[in-house]
Amino acid sequence: MITFRNVSKIFYPERTIALANVTFEVQPGEFVSVVGKSGTGKTTIVKILIAETRASEGRVIVGGWDITRIRRSEIPYLRRQIGVVFQDYKLLQKKTVFENVAFALQVSGAGPSRIRRIVPEVLKIVGLSDKHDRFPVHLSGGEQQRVAIARALAHGPKILVADEPTGNLDALNSQEIVALLQKINQIGTTVLFVSHDQTLVNQIHRRVIVLEEGALTSDQPVGRYRLS
Amino acid sequence: MRMLLVLLYRVCRFAWQGFWRNFWLSMVTITIMALAALTVNTLIGLNVVIDSATQCLEKKIDMSVYFDPEVDEPKVIEVKNYLEKLAQVGSVKYVSAAQALQDFRLRHAKDTSILESIEEMAGNPLGATLVVNAHRPDDYPTIVQIIKNSPYRDLVAEENYKDHRQTISEISNVAGRVNRTGVALSVVFILIATLIVFNTIRVAIYTHREEIGIMKLVGASNTFITAPFVIESVFYALCTILLTIVVTFPMLNAVQPYLQNFFTCSPLNLVKYFTDNFTVIVGTQLGGVIALNIIGSSIAIRRYLKV
Repeated sequence: MITFRNVSKIFYPERTIALANVTFEVQPGEFVSVVGKSGTGKTTIVKILIAETRASEGRVIVGGWDITRIRRSEIPYLRRQIGVVFQDYKLLQKKTVFENVAFALQVSGAGPSRIRRIVPEVLKIVGLSDKHDRFPVHLSGGEQQRVAIARALAHGPKILVADEPTGNLDALNSQEIVALLQKINQIGTTVLFVSHDQTLVNQIHRRVIVLEEGALTSDQPVGRYRLS
Repeated sequence: MRMLLVLLYRVCRFAWQGFWRNFWLSMVTITIMALAALTVNTLIGLNVVIDSATQCLEKKIDMSVYFDPEVDEPKVIEVKNYLEKLAQVGSVKYVSAAQALQDFRLRHAKDTSILESIEEMAGNPLGATLVVNAHRPDDYPTIVQIIKNSPYRDLVAEENYKDHRQTISEISNVAGRVNRTGVALSVVFILIATLIVFNTIRVAIYTHREEIGIMKLVGASNTFITAPFVIESVFYALCTILLTIVVTFPMLNAVQPYLQNFFTCSPLNLVKYFTDNFTVIVGTQLGGVIALNIIGSSIAIRRYLKV
């Protein structure tokens, strides 16, 4: 589903090495946690996956599509196939829950009837059916992150990338979000969970990829995240 | 096809929201652009007035060829026919000696001493006259030269023409200066208008930067993101031209009576001119303003599309 082959990323002009010769593969339906301290290259992996930045070296393949040298005009199509969730939710404050989720479909040209059908479905998955008409400001952090997940699911992506989705949440809300990601994984979506939260990662009992200073130092099928 | 229509509808709706939510900023932008368009319209009107004034003066130029009193009518008619065949001559009017005397008396009706002197003279002291109209003011010296070199030169007592060329040249000079000032003023206004449009769209884009970022992340194409801003700028252009039309025609109607009194020799109707050339004037201005706005908004949004 996802292949990173000898991928390096160097930021110029400081020549900062964000990723150094990283190689891994993610199979369809896997739940993979990518862990590491801040500044170890976790978010760079996400950015490369959604073509926000390009790898300096190596190859990146997503669903059989080599996106290493993806054309600018192809990026929107890639992003419609990968659902992304960020730490800061990235919700539109002037739109309701329903409108925020619908927005992802609107920009890709989905018709009104499809929007009316899909949005309630994904809101049901994340447990926010009863709050569809609320504005983000009236929701808790956990609920806002659920809206962001619902929006990421709107296109029916095969891959869901969650970049520090629990970073702004308390322990209880974090647990709920991880549980939700696991539920989404169970219905067939490949999940890439990027986090630095040791407790959360260790309770998932799924594959763990560890990054240190841009290099992949550990990749275990049922791994644990140990602080070095 | 249906998807395209849905996208077009959404793009227009987003554009309208942007236009409406920044109402006052939109109004300021439209006003400045309308000022630029009005300056251009004033320049067009001024050109029409100057053209009319020049034509008026050119019509007033004619040349009179005075014959000796003893030259008889058939000979004068022969000269008339000769002149009419010249390429430079537009028309020739024959004024008989009797008519010339009558005209003279009428002209000096209040001057008794002149009238008495005429009465004292035996017979008609005036000869026949040919009033010549040339095609162009520059043709008169050529016609004079042709007469002087013709076999009829001895019949002619005098030829003269009221030389308005100096006046025409002065008007042309003033017109040129007015035109240049007008063009400079228009360019300044257009530049200011362009900068203001550019800035307005930048502000609009800046206030939407978060939305643009999210649009990019959820898979919106650059065209979908850019189009509402471009269409918003087209709304500005349409409102600008509408406002310009609304201001221009009452202005022309207000000025028209004064122009009518001033240009008695040739009817000048600015309202009619603008109505007759409405499509060209409005079409060109609309095209120009839309083009400027599209270029401005496309440049302004470029940096926000790099997410």
